[in-house]
Parts: sequence; C-alpha cells; structure tokens
Amino acid sequence: MKLILVGFGFVGKSFIEAIIEKIQILKKFDKNFKLVGVSDRDGYLYNENGLDLVKLSGINKISEYQRDLFNGKSSINLIEKSEADIMIEATPTNIEDGEPGLSHIKKALSEVMHVVTSNKGPLVIAFKELTNLAKKNKLELKYEATVVAGVPVFSLIKECMQGDKIVRISGILNGTTNYILSKMYFEETDFELVLKEAQERGFAEKDPTYDIEAIDPACKVVILANTLMKKNVTIKDVERTGIKDITSEAVSLAKKSGYVIKLIGTIDENLEVAPKLIRLNHPLCIHGILNAVHFETDLAKEITIVGHGAGKETVSSIMNDLISIIRRQ
Amino acid sequence: MKFNLTLGVVDKPGQLLKAFEPIAKNGGNIVSVIHDRENPGGYVPVSLVVDFPSKENFNNTKKELEKINIPIIKSEEAVERANTTLILIGKSDLKRFIENIESKEVKILDFEVSSPNSERPCAKINIEAPPLILNDIIQKLKRTAKKENLILIPSW
Repeated sequence: MKLILVGFGFVGKSFIEAIIEKIQILKKFDKNFKLVGVSDRDGYLYNENGLDLVKLSGINKISEYQRDLFNGKSSINLIEKSEADIMIEATPTNIEDGEPGLSHIKKALSEVMHVVTSNKGPLVIAFKELTNLAKKNKLELKYEATVVAGVPVFSLIKECMQGDKIVRISGILNGTTNYILSKMYFEETDFELVLKEAQERGFAEKDPTYDIEAIDPACKVVILANTLMKKNVTIKDVERTGIKDITSEAVSLAKKSGYVIKLIGTIDENLEVAPKLIRLNHPLCIHGILNAVHFETDLAKEITIVGHGAGKETVSSIMNDLISIIRRQ
Repeated sequence: MKFNLTLGVVDKPGQLLKAFEPIAKNGGNIVSVIHDRENPGGYVPVSLVVDFPSKENFNNTKKELEKINIPIIKSEEAVERANTTLILIGKSDLKRFIENIESKEVKILDFEVSSPNSERPCAKINIEAPPLILNDIIQKLKRTAKKENLILIPSW
C-alpha cells in the first residue's frame, strides 16, 4: 500500500521514526508498504518508489530532503497526484474552521484514500460530513489519536465492548490543565505561578487559552459524544468552565475535605467540561500530565483507561489505526 | 420500600424474636437494628430499618405487632439522604446563597470560608438532601453561581 503523510511537525516526524522502528510489522501485513509522499506548509516530496525514511527522520523541513523531489505546491496537490491508498493527516488543530486539515481529509476521501488523523479540528467542525463521506466511498476514517492521544479509547469500546451501552463518559481530557491542577494540589501554589512554570517546561503553550479555557477538552467531548454515544453535537453544545479562576485556597479547602479539583469532561444527557471535586480514591484522581477516561456502561459497569494525552505517545494510536486499515485490505 | 420502626420490647429472653416474627411474615428485610439497653423501665427501645415489599406489608406488620402487644414508639417511611460537598469561588453573599438552597428537604451540614477578605474568597459547603433531588439542587446552584459570576465546583 502507498502511504502519504500530510504534516511534518512534531507528530509527523515522530511518526516517521515510529515507521522506521516498526517497519517489520508493517511489511508483515503488506510487503509493498511504502511512504511515497510527505508534505508541510512549504510544499511536498513525492517519489512513487518510496521515500528514504531514515533520511526523512534526519531533516527538519522537507525542502532539505532532495531538491529534485521537492515541489513547492500545496498538500492538496500531493493528495491529488499521489494516488496513495492511505493518508496520515497530522497538521495542527484549528477549531475555527478546521483548516487546512478539513480540506486535506475531504480531498483524500474524494480521491478514494483511507484517512488516519491526529487532528481534532476537522472532526469538531464537520464530524457528520466527514464520516458520511467516508461511509459513502467505503473508506476508513480513523482518528484514535484525536482523543487522549496514545490511549486506545475508541478501539477499546468498538473492539472490546461491542455489546455495551454507554451510559456516561467522563474524563480528564487535557494534560496541561491536569499538570497545573496537580501542581497546585501538591505544592499549594497559585495558578499563575504554575502556569508560568508549565510554559517554561513546555507543558503549556505560550498562548494557553485552548487548554485553560477548556476548549481543547471540549473538542474531545464532541468527538467522543459523536463517535461513542451517537450524538450529533458541536462545540457550541458543550458547557465550558476553565480553570483560570481556581484559587490555591479553593484547592486547599478541597484537599482538607479529601478531594482534589480536576477539570472533568462529561458526556451523558448533557455535555460539559468543568472543574469538579474528585475523591482521592476515585480512578479519575490521576496526576501530572496524564489523561484518563472513565466509562459507565450497562454490562461492564465501570472502566477507566489512563495514559498520555499528548506528545510522542500519539504515534501509538496513529500506528494502530494504520495497521488496522492495512490488515483489512 | 424502607421504613423506620421503633418498638418497645420487654427486656426478657425471646421478646425480640417475637417482635421479628410479624416482620418476617410480611416479607420485611431488616436492614439495621439498634437497641438501647441503657434505657431504664423494663422496655428496650429497638430501632429498626426494614425493607418491605409494599406499604401494605408495613401496615399489616404494625397491626400484627399491636395484636401481640408490642408497642410501636415510632413508624415512618425512611427518606434516604445523600450528602455532597461544593466549593464556591468569588465574592458572594454566602448567607443569601445558603438561604437559596436551604429548605425542608435540604440541610446545610457545615460550611467553611477561606480568605473572606481577599478578592477571590472561597467557601466549602456540605449539603444533605434526598438523592433524587440532589442533582436538581446542584443545577439550581450552578445557575445562581453563573448569574453572580461565581465559580461553583460540585463533587463529581
């Protein structure tokens, strides 16, 4: 199968490294597996015989790869030209209009390519449209990495709990805010101080709005609700309260009563992301940059899955989605 | 259906068993028993929580207890109570906020205020209410908090 990778940032590069490491597994399922194209915002590389993965892993921009294989045109051109079987879409999330990921995914699905993405934006903006387009063209659109990055949330429910009815999903869906709240709990420091430290350590963006205003976890609530609870909702349907007004006094009061304050996303009759008091012995009482999703179902009752919600671990989900598609062909 | 039943049982061997017979006959499942042997006067008050299949079974039990001369000191349907903790952040008239929720069914168990003179004071409130209405109370409080620009953190 021929693969293209759209987006050559942190996730894209980490994914190239993972392919090098796991090439034997990929070749076992498809001996003709090869990466034929890679694009970033400057242009794309294309070689129908396959690109050199080791060489790709050593460069920062794709224009540094090999001059005659580089084309300054857009990712859309690569998608049209490549005739690939699968596209990995790993451009950054934009929840305003979902672009450029939304156009990439639409184009790939209309060019009869399966799609694996780590980009939340297109799914938050156009979940129904994209899933319907994939269904209509009998293609796979897989997005495990969009919610709690490296943790197999969708696979767990779709593969292992096919008979269960989900009553409620709740979870810690953002590592940055969990890091901040954990630090406030253990060190009894103010929000602003911890945020600054988180930014210095690379756990929070320079502009932390998406995280601290609960926009990022609200996006994940939308994807979870639409995928696992068959809702048809957008981010406007999620009631949001961020963590910037949480004071160290409030954290201490909670602590004295045997609680910790966590930013919890909840999906039941309502959709909400808001700070909640969590008992210290509850499975959602996890600290640091970890994420967790807690399912309440009719058969299995309660299941919690914990793991890394960002970073290099994201490639685990992308790789599993990719292998699932390859195995089904 | 759960009922609270307090009986006056003569402090003699076999009397408690005698009192339990009508309960068992009417399908009652005794959830808890507390008896106060310190009480002087020959009668030991025995407080029971009994789960009956219906109110009719409960009423039949009472009639049968009376027939065998076991005094019923108290009998009422048990109302389940649940409690929850909330944290409120921001400047607010806490007295008014509490009055807003306190009712015949809702009890404030305790509250604690931290940094009352700061820009963002906070309070912890423990409330007790029947489980069926607890969620409605929290929703009502959330709406009030939103109106007053306060942050309400309920227990999950």
